[in-house]
Amino acid sequence: MATTISESNKLTFTGYFRNIYEAFYTCGKGMWITFKYVWAHKPVTIEYPEVKEVLPEKARMRLFNDAENCISCTQCALSCPVDCIYIASKPRPKGEEVPKTTNGSPIRQILTQYTIDTALCCYCGLCTTVCPTECLTHSHDYEYSQYSLSGMKVDYLNDDVRAWRERIVKE
Amino acid sequence: MHSELANFINSKVSGAGAVFEEREVGDHVIFVDPAHIFDVSKTLRDEKDFKVLQVITGTDYLDDKTIEVSYILATFDPQNSEDDLILKVKLDRENPELDSVVDVWKSADYQERECYDMLGVNFRNHPNLIRILCCYDWEGFPLRKDYEAAKEYKGMTIYPESKNNSADQEFKKLSKADPGIERPRW
Amino acid sequence: MSNTKTIEIGGTPSEKLKTDLLTINMGPQHPATHGVLRIEIKTDSEIVSEAIPHLGYLHRCMEKHCEKVDYRGVIPFTDRLDYLASMSMEWGYSMAVEKMLNIEVPKRAEYIRCIIAELQRIASHLIAFGTYAIDLGAFSPFLYAFEMREKVLRFFEELSGARLLYNYIWIGGVWNDIDDKQLKRIGKFCDEMEEEVKKYNELVSFNKIFVERTANVGVLSIEDAYQYGASGPVLRGSGVKWDLRANRPYSLYSELDFDVHVGEGERGVVGDCWNRYFVRMKEVVESVKIIRQLLDGIEDGPVMGKVPKVIKPPKGEIYIRTECPRGELGYHLISDGKKTPYRLKVKSPCFTHTSMLPLLGEGQLIADFVATIGSIDIVLGEVDR
Repeated sequence: MATTISESNKLTFTGYFRNIYEAFYTCGKGMWITFKYVWAHKPVTIEYPEVKEVLPEKARMRLFNDAENCISCTQCALSCPVDCIYIASKPRPKGEEVPKTTNGSPIRQILTQYTIDTALCCYCGLCTTVCPTECLTHSHDYEYSQYSLSGMKVDYLNDDVRAWRERIVKE
Repeated sequence: MHSELANFINSKVSGAGAVFEEREVGDHVIFVDPAHIFDVSKTLRDEKDFKVLQVITGTDYLDDKTIEVSYILATFDPQNSEDDLILKVKLDRENPELDSVVDVWKSADYQERECYDMLGVNFRNHPNLIRILCCYDWEGFPLRKDYEAAKEYKGMTIYPESKNNSADQEFKKLSKADPGIERPRW
Repeated sequence: MSNTKTIEIGGTPSEKLKTDLLTINMGPQHPATHGVLRIEIKTDSEIVSEAIPHLGYLHRCMEKHCEKVDYRGVIPFTDRLDYLASMSMEWGYSMAVEKMLNIEVPKRAEYIRCIIAELQRIASHLIAFGTYAIDLGAFSPFLYAFEMREKVLRFFEELSGARLLYNYIWIGGVWNDIDDKQLKRIGKFCDEMEEEVKKYNELVSFNKIFVERTANVGVLSIEDAYQYGASGPVLRGSGVKWDLRANRPYSLYSELDFDVHVGEGERGVVGDCWNRYFVRMKEVVESVKIIRQLLDGIEDGPVMGKVPKVIKPPKGEIYIRTECPRGELGYHLISDGKKTPYRLKVKSPCFTHTSMLPLLGEGQLIADFVATIGSIDIVLGEVDR
């Protein structure tokens, strides 16, 4: 079957017309396939801002830390490959009652800072898998563009975090 | 198989000094004398059927003051079941120089340029030994262990303050100035 | 310049017109280069007399980054090498670390990995098909290819949570288990895919205009393919029956029954653009065949092996090759017994394929050169690393 270049380039009289026939025939075939898409195909795209796609359950979008359940173990910051989690805590004063997370582990440290630089985050999900209290999760929020870089850094001890949490996290 | 290969190299190329090094885990390697790398490669290609040069890569050992250049060869021969060969040469870290193997395998062209770019190994007789991944007038060799990221390139600041998200700085300030700062809880 | 020649106009020697080579830049932002590849082309009228690729526009020095993060943290970086075939990239790295640590991967995890890798191969080849058609001026095949690819991506999104950079294959197994509903959907997808490939072949592969553009163009001989270290569909397009999955079987591939397709020269000559392209289309059908076998044989069980909490491979080094959609991907991992890799070198197939461009481009028409670049199917994330 294999031919050399010089052989195939030789143009005979019948070959000339065969070429024309083949070109019309194969192009017509292709046209027919595309033509069938006019009716016999459902549209697969959605009009984004009006219609929103339902994300799968495991979808990894913006990170959310439920700071009430955080025990300041710093596992997330250690496992992060791009170092985008900034966490700080101080020891609880002696004699004070130690609160507990929802799954029962004691919160021995007081969390003083929990900031994630969303612009730096690579959404790999490694931090959420090491979290012992499962307070750090990926939310389904993907619309958070900002005008400045500093707006991309999210302080989870801030009050307004609660507002967008209620907007997107399903209870 | 690889220990036989070391003997084979020694018998064919005088002074090659091929030493087979067995490792507990992973692949075994053969060390050869850097001065004879061209002859060794030619012999391996012609007589042992190592048709393909997979990769040339360097590793910087700061403590030993050496740079190891590895040549990974393959036969692409379906009958030969064990065909990966890691050929290594040890070079002086201060002045790494080596013969080019571009005349043996053409793929060595880009691989050697990358090795030069990243680790500063000079390949003699290479047709066009210039940087390939970094820009052509970059200074320093990024994959050396003592490389420090450049602060400036031709008067331009790399990673300027304005493009730096200041989260880490604020974090440092916060923790140093007042470690016991109280934040409103919600 | 040695290439300078003079032609005579008007007959008198004083009116001689001097001609020179014209240097034009193709890229870095060129629709036909599949990324930020800049090629300096010296042209003699329409003929490319020299093509010099300039790489590094996407260079992130990923190998240096990997020396700073722990072994688990490297996987997100390997995703970003070949962002069209992230799963295959992760698999090679995970295999290298598993071999170093002597971890046994559970059978179910191996099955899932194989299914995922083959689906990824289909998705990646669909991109190669679609963008190649776009390079040559056909727009609608691109949309059809993306419609099918979207199904794979949607499936990956449900499985791992991300659409492109998955971080799904972990050292010792895979992140999440697959459920029966999803397996059934893969089976359905396989049926659809077979029909689609037939459609693509009618639409593009045997189209006379497409054949005229690609057949006999950019012929790579077997000797050159070996010399330049070609692998994957590029090597097979030149007629070499070499596939790591068949010849050096890793994971479950030794138990599976599949063919290795090479360029046979149905159109044009073996080793030209058309054959390189058609090998990919045949591989899609072959991947569907492999997935069907895997779906029949999948076993129950855990998906994660016993992995120590802190991964510290013993001192040594390893070189692992896997067959990823674009060719042979190799990881040369050197460990010094610490928490982070001492050195991780990625042998990228696209990097070696890029080095063939000066050879293939010489003496071609510029339009043919575009066809040649498309047929090699390079991803610049992997070339520049």
